[in-house]
Amino acid sequence: MDSYSSPPPHMGGGQSPEAIMEQLEAQFAEAYAEEMLETLRAKCFDKCVTSPGSSLSSGESSCVSRCVDRYLEATAIISRSLMSQQR
Amino acid sequence: MDPSLANNPQLIQFLTQEQERARANEVVAKITSSCWDKCVEKPGSKFSSSETSCLSNCALRYMDLTMLIMKRFQQ
Repeated sequence: MDSYSSPPPHMGGGQSPEAIMEQLEAQFAEAYAEEMLETLRAKCFDKCVTSPGSSLSSGESSCVSRCVDRYLEATAIISRSLMSQQR
Repeated sequence: MDPSLANNPQLIQFLTQEQERARANEVVAKITSSCWDKCVEKPGSKFSSSETSCLSNCALRYMDLTMLIMKRFQQ
């Protein structure tokens, strides 16, 4: 295999700034999503699983679904609230 | 990394903006975490109007508090 036939997959291997920015953007988005997932996990476990049983009840499952939706909504409400203050 | 990229103004601006964005996201995340605990007892299929106003008020009060603390801290 000729190792010089194509640039290595890591950044800066002859890539344009645009390509690098695109890669970075994707990585930032992924990092944000990972952090959000962690938060959702913690928050929704706290709110919905108050007494852990031998399996997740259907009530607990629907609570978790609602929790995820509401938490993302809360994030948006707060983001908007803060942005409207920056005038 | 290609040395010319390290000085690329486009990249530098992009990274600066991303840093700003990340900082803003972190503030929102922190406030949302606290305000969720204060305002939402049990997640429903939609927010009540009191939950919604609690959340937006909470964010603003948090900022007020930040100002107050900074002022106090500087005295």
